[in-house]
Amino acid sequence: MKYKQKKYSAVIFLIIMLSITLITFIRPKTYFSEIENRELAKFPKLSFGNIMNKTFMNQFELYLSDHFFKRIEFIGVKINSELFLGKKELKGVYITENRLVEKMPSPNYKAMKQSVEAINKIANSSDVPVYALLAPTSAGIYYDEVYKDYPQIDQRKLLNNVYNEFSKNITLIDVFSKLHAVRDEYIYYRNDHHWTCLGAYNAYSSTVKKMGFTPVAFEKYDIEHANNDFYGTFFSSSLYDKLQADIIDIYRYKEGTSVTGVYINNGFETNEYSSIYFKEFLEKKDKYSVYLGQNQPMVKIKTNTANNKKLLIFKDSYAHSFVPFLTQHYNEIVLLDMRYLDDYKKFVNIEDYNQVLFLYNISTFSQDQNIRKIAYDW
Amino acid sequence: MVFSSLTFMYAFLPIVLITYFLSPKKLKNIIILISGLIFYAWGEPKYIMIMITSAFVDYFAGLIISKSKDNKVRKRALLIAMTIDLGFLFIFKYSGFAVSIVNGVFKSEIPVPNLLLPIGISFYTFQSMSYTIDIYFKQVKVQRNFLNYLCYVSLFPQLVAGPIVRYEDVQNEIDERKINVNLVGEGVNYFVRGLAKKVLLANNIGSLWSSIKVVDVSEITVLTAWLGILSFTFQIYFDFSGYSDMAIGLGKMLGFNFPQNFNLPYLSKSISEFWRRWHMTLGAWFRSYVYIPLGGNRGGKYKTIRNLIIVWFLTGLWHGASWNFVFWGMFYGFFIIIERLFLSRILEKIPSIFRMIYTFLLVVIGWVFFDLNTMSDSFKYLKAMFANSNGLFDLDSVYYFKSYIVVFIVCIIVSTNVLSKFLGNSNIIKKYYKYSVPIYESVLLILSTAYLVDSTYNPFLYFRF
Repeated sequence: MKYKQKKYSAVIFLIIMLSITLITFIRPKTYFSEIENRELAKFPKLSFGNIMNKTFMNQFELYLSDHFFKRIEFIGVKINSELFLGKKELKGVYITENRLVEKMPSPNYKAMKQSVEAINKIANSSDVPVYALLAPTSAGIYYDEVYKDYPQIDQRKLLNNVYNEFSKNITLIDVFSKLHAVRDEYIYYRNDHHWTCLGAYNAYSSTVKKMGFTPVAFEKYDIEHANNDFYGTFFSSSLYDKLQADIIDIYRYKEGTSVTGVYINNGFETNEYSSIYFKEFLEKKDKYSVYLGQNQPMVKIKTNTANNKKLLIFKDSYAHSFVPFLTQHYNEIVLLDMRYLDDYKKFVNIEDYNQVLFLYNISTFSQDQNIRKIAYDW
Repeated sequence: MVFSSLTFMYAFLPIVLITYFLSPKKLKNIIILISGLIFYAWGEPKYIMIMITSAFVDYFAGLIISKSKDNKVRKRALLIAMTIDLGFLFIFKYSGFAVSIVNGVFKSEIPVPNLLLPIGISFYTFQSMSYTIDIYFKQVKVQRNFLNYLCYVSLFPQLVAGPIVRYEDVQNEIDERKINVNLVGEGVNYFVRGLAKKVLLANNIGSLWSSIKVVDVSEITVLTAWLGILSFTFQIYFDFSGYSDMAIGLGKMLGFNFPQNFNLPYLSKSISEFWRRWHMTLGAWFRSYVYIPLGGNRGGKYKTIRNLIIVWFLTGLWHGASWNFVFWGMFYGFFIIIERLFLSRILEKIPSIFRMIYTFLLVVIGWVFFDLNTMSDSFKYLKAMFANSNGLFDLDSVYYFKSYIVVFIVCIIVSTNVLSKFLGNSNIIKKYYKYSVPIYESVLLILSTAYLVDSTYNPFLYFRF
């Protein structure tokens, strides 16, 4: 009887192992993974040099794992097993009843201090009014619900501490209270780390008041549900697929002014576009990029708003769904992303602008090591 | 290459097994040899010559020692071979540590060499050396064929992480062995269970230790400190014993029977017993080649203590070139000596559950010294466990507890083997044994594969940047 068991074990093991190996190697390959949004590895070249410096081995391992038979399904098995074991965290993402939220890493206090000092330096050396908006992420707004089950950084406290470090010359914009007040509405995506258009609108309405404008009333917008099948970064990291897909909205203010040109510099050249919405991204995985496209070093938006006002924004991607609301109030808006830039002065001179806004989410801001570059003398 | 990788399981192993099973008997050792060299070179293409040189030295010394009748020649050959073997080990593993000690003592500033440690050097050096010593003491037959000898040293199942298979253990099988489907099946039993121990248990519980280890130890609560070191306690056991099981299983698939390396060590009732159940082949090696040659326990109380101190100093040092490993070894040496002197007589009188707790607690404390890099870190950690002013628990520790309690329970069940004791007697299990075991192994194999695939999942989070 025991012998039969051994025979069966041997046969089944060999069948599983050999068939997975065989299928993995002989099946036709694709070289782009939509779900991971990256190129998949190619089979390495065999040469003596490649072997001695281990390029061949490393490349081979990537090739095998990238093209592994039923790769995503295998990961699904792992996720279900982890959930079964009672884990509520997958790859840095917490699973809650209504949404995925980030497990915010501990702030890099040194980097934050350097960023604040750099921003203070700009504010103190120029007469152009400077504004700072650090937006909470969903982990901050839904802190009470999340904190019950998960250790989490208190973003309100963190924001207050950072705001206290800013120079008196900087106008600080608090959107936390506003967003917290409307937290039952759809202001953050369930499966992505960004705020929704509605979240951005709420932040916008309290921001422009501080910047000297009257916000456009919510009722004035026609809202288009451009897509209702958005699974963003939290989904991509965790592959947790048990929450409803997100909706991408586009807000249009028919009576208002319109965009006359969008100029995007991708680091090599500047291209002109007619719209701030890039609808081709609705067909892709990265649907949030419908707003102003993916992150680029510089974006300039010209409008027919007849006030000659110019705004300069240093930003992360939270600005992308936010800026469309601002086009009503400025003739020109320039967005700079310091993660892709060294010397911003090659593009703009601060003195040419009426206002400067720093717009980051607190999670990016607490780790970012690029903002400090604005204070360098290149 | 490591066993618990997709490359090993879904490229290397299938190819090796198929060619090995299909090739004629004469070629089988060549296939093992080539596959061993590829297996080693996969992770270490440059250092493979060190292993081959070391093997050649022992092979050649073996020939001389067995041929010569002159005791001087025999002794000299043994000493030269051992010097070369241990010399490689010293240069690559201990030179940095030695130089930093010299610098510390003499306030000198000799640059500290920073050599990459060749994979498995601690294991294959001991394995290969055992052959020459055994030849000298006429315990084994000489191997005249260098390829067969190199086949033993580079036998990939046992090459990089034990068990420490002595030449004596496999000398007959190197020349002549049976390969059949039952032995392969037995090998599969070992391999799949070992794989599951490593991938499903060790890696899983280990991720708790890696998250706790990076937190500032002065801020953690009692519960976090204990969860942390207990997770390491299970991680290292399942990691190491899982790897040994995989090695034993792979050996059987190829027709070799390797010695057992772990025997439910966390159930030990004394420290001496723990070391008869934990990494058994290492203990046996030190007993045969250090403790016994030094005289063992035959020279009276003081000589025995001296010999034990030497053995446990070396055991600690073997695990790594730094003071914390030495301390860890001496820590065990201390308890083994006092158990021998008087403690075991006291232990015999108390209920075995308390003896198990005594042993387990000391082992857990030992792991603190083993895995924290410096002595001062270790003492800080012990302080967090035993004299903590941050309270019993906080939200973090409760979160860790809730996330890992199921994994902990599984770890406890598997490391004490209670389930198989319980189920082994049931008639239903006996009746369906031949089907249930293969099914259960397939599930473990698929689950382990899923965890391995997941660890390679690497989304490019465009909008993060």
